[in-house]
Amino acid sequence: MLYKSNYIILFLIVIFALSSCEKAFFEKEFSTTDPFDNFEYLWKECDEKYAYFEVKNIDWDAVKVAYAAKLYKGMSQDSLFSVLGGMLTELRDDHTNLVSDFNISSFGVRYLGQDNFDWRIIIDNYITKDFYRTGPFSHNFLDNGEIGYIRFPSFTGAINATNINFVLDRYKDTKGLIFDLRENGGGAVSDVFSILSILVDVNTLVNYSRIKNGPGHNDFSEPAPVYVAGHGGTPYTKNIKVLIDRGTYSAGSFTALATKALDNVVLIGDTTGGGLGVPNGGQLPNGWTYRFSITQALTLDKSPEFENGVPPDIPVLFDWNDVTKDEILERAITELQ
Amino acid sequence: MRAANLIIMCLFIFLFLAKAKTVQAQTDNSAFKNEEPTLTKKQKRKQVPKYYGISFGINRSKFRDFATSPLFYIGTSNQIALSRLKMGNNRETELSLSYDFGSYSANFNETTTFSNVKRVVLNYSQLYRVGLLNSVGINTKVGFLINGSGNLRINGSLQNNALGVDIFVNAMGAIKITKDISRRVVKEKKFLFWRYKLNEKKRNLAFRLNLGLINSSYRNGYVYNGQSEILNDPKSFDDYEFEIFSGIRASTSLDYTRYLKNKNAFQFSYIWDAYATSGAVEKFEMAHHTFRLSLLFNTNNR
Repeated sequence: MLYKSNYIILFLIVIFALSSCEKAFFEKEFSTTDPFDNFEYLWKECDEKYAYFEVKNIDWDAVKVAYAAKLYKGMSQDSLFSVLGGMLTELRDDHTNLVSDFNISSFGVRYLGQDNFDWRIIIDNYITKDFYRTGPFSHNFLDNGEIGYIRFPSFTGAINATNINFVLDRYKDTKGLIFDLRENGGGAVSDVFSILSILVDVNTLVNYSRIKNGPGHNDFSEPAPVYVAGHGGTPYTKNIKVLIDRGTYSAGSFTALATKALDNVVLIGDTTGGGLGVPNGGQLPNGWTYRFSITQALTLDKSPEFENGVPPDIPVLFDWNDVTKDEILERAITELQ
Repeated sequence: MRAANLIIMCLFIFLFLAKAKTVQAQTDNSAFKNEEPTLTKKQKRKQVPKYYGISFGINRSKFRDFATSPLFYIGTSNQIALSRLKMGNNRETELSLSYDFGSYSANFNETTTFSNVKRVVLNYSQLYRVGLLNSVGINTKVGFLINGSGNLRINGSLQNNALGVDIFVNAMGAIKITKDISRRVVKEKKFLFWRYKLNEKKRNLAFRLNLGLINSSYRNGYVYNGQSEILNDPKSFDDYEFEIFSGIRASTSLDYTRYLKNKNAFQFSYIWDAYATSGAVEKFEMAHHTFRLSLLFNTNNR
């Protein structure tokens, strides 16, 4: 016969035993601030999962040797961040970041090319301050009402049918549209397909995509086709000039890539920044977080080369000697006239 | 406030929804043995006490998903559960559905990251009495438990991998030992100058162990994130992989059950549950320690 106190003891023994027992289910503790452990962890994660080593011709082993030499016992958090962030910068990819409470590393692909966009110049000299704002679109007529200009600064995921139908209806009698994606750093990929859907009436193959599925640098899934479906209304079949530059990134580059499959769309400006890999997210043993690209977007001939930037069909750069003119926009107007 | 009202309402119903005033305890072996020879199988089934249970618990747990982080996330979640039980001497079945919700954090190197976790668990178990392992006051049953668990984890600091959904299905072997610790006679007691009476009480203590035999998981693939969104074909379980034999799972419960005169019962439980995956994709580990109060409503007056 057990007494009450015995039951309590039994209960405590069971809890203690089970708490100990669960250690058998878990691997050892991995949290550490050791610079060598964190370096090795991050290098290996990238080595096994990053998608663009071959395309960018990056010798990741050589990067390891170069940056491991900068590590030393007792280095400060800031110094360790500089080494790890610097290593990630070697990937030349703005979908790659190291994030701590005191700093965020990034590559800054847009600074590889010159600045090609000034919104104030466009307002002052082209669309006036009376332009319309419809959802994420800022737009107005150009060239005596012959051309429609639509500025899309960010993929907010907020595009809806009302926005699209209003804009299409307003410019239905123009010769064509200018769609300005310069300095659009990306965002929700759903907006890419909402925009492209107004340009097609049947399912249209625009590109391919593949995802890392193994630790080798070339371990990918089979290329999967990316189709764009029509929006249900009459597609816009007149000419469209899409303006791009180095600041056109991620979803902006996806849009630019897809337009290569559409006959009535022409890209004008500078090469985009790339960012055609979907990033992941993870955490280091010291608590900092990181991300890098784990997919490849491929052209219709299944090349991943546009990660280095989607090239314009008509290359034009901004001339900052005359700040009353936007040469890229001017060229688009000329092309549509 | 709403939750508190719900608990108070359940307690009120539980205590005052009396059905009958005379009770022979549900797991009283001697009583059952007397009835056994005179009843048909169908009658026996009807004699088995049936309960609907509602439970409230606090769950202290930790997890680690190597696919996104080598750090443990530790936190406390609240639990609510509904169950249907048939607790006979020879056979016991239980169907239960529980829902946990809470916030977990990894706090290391002056960096704190949070993961909001919601967990749904569906259990079905059947236990059968084993003659060899029984004695007076002790009832031993063995059987199986089918467990389906789903975790939804949201950790904004993991950026594009912020959302994690894991599904585990386990077929487990189970053993339950129930010790009848009822007070069968009224006892007169004295503490200093205070005399008091301890009335008859029907109660039992049970320990249950479940060990995973088939441990399956349905989890994110190699790089955790999928690509369906950029294929313009969004999927809920994008690039997920099913592994039928993946890792280990074990759970135990220690239950103290106190039966009331109206044939309902209170049950205090301490539940431990731990599991870990294995296989091609990176490991997931999780352990729970749950303290739970269950109100068992008898539905067949047995």
